[in-house]
This record gives sequence, C-alpha cells and structure tokens, in this order.
Amino acid sequence: MIQCQNVWFSYDGITSVLKDITLKIKDGDFVGIMGENGAGKTTLVKLFNGLLKPAKGEIFINDQNVISLSVAELSRIIGFVFQNADHQIFSRTVAEEIGFILKNFKYEESKIQAEVERILQQFDLVRYREQSPFLLSGGERKRVALASILCAHPEILILDEPTIGQDAIEKKKLIELLRSLNENGVTVIIITHDIEFTVEYLPRCILMSNGILVADGPTKYILANEKILKEASLIEPQLVHLCHLLNFESAVLSIEEMKTRILEYLGGAS
Amino acid sequence: MAINFLEAFKFKIKNTAIHNLDPRTKLYFAFTITIVSLCFTDIIPLLILFLAIIPLFLIGKIFTQWLNTLKGLIFLASLIIVIDTLFLSFNLGVAMSIRLFVLISAFSLFFLTVHPDDFSQSLIQIKVPFSFAFALSLAIRFVPTLAQEAQNVREAQMVRGLELQKGNIIKKVKNFIPIIIPLIILSIQRALLIAESLESRGFGATKRRTYLYPLRMKLKDYFLIGLLTAFLVFVIVLLIDKAIPDWMYFRLPF
Repeated sequence: MIQCQNVWFSYDGITSVLKDITLKIKDGDFVGIMGENGAGKTTLVKLFNGLLKPAKGEIFINDQNVISLSVAELSRIIGFVFQNADHQIFSRTVAEEIGFILKNFKYEESKIQAEVERILQQFDLVRYREQSPFLLSGGERKRVALASILCAHPEILILDEPTIGQDAIEKKKLIELLRSLNENGVTVIIITHDIEFTVEYLPRCILMSNGILVADGPTKYILANEKILKEASLIEPQLVHLCHLLNFESAVLSIEEMKTRILEYLGGAS
Repeated sequence: MAINFLEAFKFKIKNTAIHNLDPRTKLYFAFTITIVSLCFTDIIPLLILFLAIIPLFLIGKIFTQWLNTLKGLIFLASLIIVIDTLFLSFNLGVAMSIRLFVLISAFSLFFLTVHPDDFSQSLIQIKVPFSFAFALSLAIRFVPTLAQEAQNVREAQMVRGLELQKGNIIKKVKNFIPIIIPLIILSIQRALLIAESLESRGFGATKRRTYLYPLRMKLKDYFLIGLLTAFLVFVIVLLIDKAIPDWMYFRLPF
C-alpha cells in the first residue's frame, strides 16, 4: 500500500513541483495518473521509489516510511518501467538484460536462469534470447524493459507512458498482461496522457495539474466531469464529447452504455 | 556530483551587464584569465585572481549556478590535492585546485552568459570555419541534455537494484558500465537524428551566411578588451622583471 501525507516537493528549493499531495493507493489497485506536461506525475512516482525525497510530508510503502529505505530496498517492492526503454538497455543479450535486476538482488544463477526463461516465454521473446537488445524494434525494446522489471516479481508496478510508440495490438497485449498481473495481486500504477486508454482500461484515475491533486476517484466519474477536465487542462474523451453533441444529460464512458443510450435516443429500437 | 558540474554550461536569458557584453569580449576574458592563472603556481596570486572573478557572477546574477558548478568540482579538487601531496607538495595541490576553480569560473562565466547561437557566430567572426563553429556550439548546447539523460539512465538502473557506491574501487568502476553504455547509444542516436534533421533543412546549402542579429562590438567591449590586455601585459612584465612582491610567494607551513 502507498500512502502520501501532505507531500511537498521542489527541485530547486524555490518552486514547488508537488503541493500538499495526500492520497492512498491500496494493494491490488489499478490506477491511472493523468495531467498535463509538468503536472508533477513522474515526480510523484519518483517519490514512491525513493529516487526523490519529499521536502515536506511523509510517504509510506507497506507502512514503512520511504525516508528509511534505500532505492535498492524499495526496488524489491516497486518495479518502475521508465518511458524510454533506451535509458536502461545496456546488456549484450536480451537474456542478460532481463536477468540484470536479479543479479543485483543476488539471486542464485540457477534461479536467474529459470526466471529469465519464464519471462522470455511470457513476453514472447524466446527467439531473441541471445540477440542484442539494441537490434530490436522500439516496441520490442519496451517489452524487454517491462520484462526486465517484472522478472523480479514486484508488489507494485509503475509504468511511465507505456502506450507511447505502441500500436493498437501491442497496447491490447500490454493491458491484458497488466490486468492479469493485477488479478494476481500486483498494484498497477500507469502514468499516461492517453485519455482513451484510461477511459477504456483503468478503473481509478488520479488527475494532477500544476503540482496539485485535482481529483481522485472512479474514472467514469472523473473523466466525464467537464469542470475537472478543464482544471487539469485535459480534452474530454471522445464518448463524453459525443454525449455533449447529442445533448445527453449525463456522460457515459463505455461503448456498451453509449449504444444503449443512442438506441434510447433514437426511439427505443434495439 | 557530475551533474552539478554541468551547471556551468546551462545558459539562461537574463538582462545584465555581463549578458549584454559581446561574446568575443567574454571569450577574450576567459583566455586572459586562463593565461594569467597559468603564469602562477602559488596560492596567493591564484586566490586573488579567483576572488576578483566572484563579483562578476553577482553582477551577472548567476552566482547560484556558479556555486553549483564549483560544488561539482570539489571531488576533483580534492583528488588534485591528494595526488599532489603524495607526489609533490600540499602547497602545490592547494594552488592547483584554486587554478582549477579559476579556469572553470572563467569559462563558466562565458557559457552561462552567452547564447549558443551567439557563441557560434562569435567563433565564425574570428574566422573559425562555420561547420566547426556550429559543431562546437551544438556540442555545448547538448551538454545540459546529456546531463539530464545521464540522470535518467542512472535512475533507470537504480530502480533495477544497481547500487553505484557499493563495493571496492573496481566494483564501483564496473557499476558505471550500465550507465555509460546507454548514454553512448543515446548520444549516437541523437547525433544521427540531428544530422538527418539538419540535412533535411538545407544545412550547408549556401557557403555565404547572413545573420538576423549580427554581433557588433560596442565601446564598452573595446574598453574591456583594452583593460584585459593591459592587465595581461602588466602581469607578464611583473614576471619578466621578477617584480612580484615576496608576500605573494607565501607557502603553507605544512
């Protein structure tokens, strides 16, 4: 569980990038963090895994204050997949790249081999085992980056903009994987600008703007609220826009619900 | 630490007396200070030179950035003192550390107050070929980007359990491999992208270039260049005549 209590943060000691953030992410939550560029989304999650330390306030991971834990200790609990896979890839082969985290955690060689093999199969990367990760496509490198975090079985998984550069099929595969991890108890936190992706797949949404937590709650309420979206400088999802065009009293955020509403609108045909 | 040192290259637009000087005047200043600092191996003259530069950072409103640069150099300065003390003398170690601060400060003043475009133009006006001047200004322009990328790569490896400060000296050096390799790859990728982008926008299509805002030396620039030349000549004459006062050769008692 992640608990933030009145957290403030500043890079230069003058301008606050995060202002009085209080939130709780429970075990097994599936959360999207949204907001405009510079809203403080990435800064917030960097506080979770100890890369940054709060200027004021406290953050607890599984009831332990992050101040008392090193990044290496927190990385055993929290897996963080960066936006650009090229920031982490350095190994000679895909298998070595994936096993890097386990080596750092001092796993036995046989355990590393077994885990790497398991994850290569899960991510459909077996044929690339001995290949240089630098020769893979952008989407494949992203998969290697995600695999190299997941092989350590983190309790909490944070992904920064995982859908950038992914085609529709890769996106679908990604969400299926994340859902299955979530069903197995992994807390998933996704930082994204992809509002349609959030609407479709993420049940809870945290909206940030200019370092302030604007809203936190079920996605279907938050992303249908025009006032909140305006405050977070976000453009409404296409379904909400359609609801406005059709002068519906309230917005809907699922295709099925929209179908029902349109049929009602057209006179009850089915 | 290394990231702080790169603060020396982060230009920010400001309207101060230092920013408004011609880049060539500031380049001349940096080279004059470099020559003068290389003329001395004693603590006092180098310290005087160092202290004399400080007000310029206050006038240019870049004092904090300059301090961050110096903070990033503390490790290197300490290393110089240790090595010099072991093989030569502590006194020389301290003097050489001050010289390092003087040299970095002089060029820091230049890079912190000169726009990268003005930098390349100033080089071209002193007859450096355009492609060289452009490459150099581009390299400097990308130093802050490289620093940011180094930070990102470092963080990406730390969250995979890499502990940079752990182990003996060989292990510590090895720990940097996962940072250096992605950084080199990213730099090569960026260089290729920039080359493509430049070529697609007609880079090198014309031999003769014109500038929207051509640099022009003002009276204050000529005055300062004259002053700096007089200072340089004065120091050289003092050294030739061996007229440096004895107190300037003060040595630490240990």
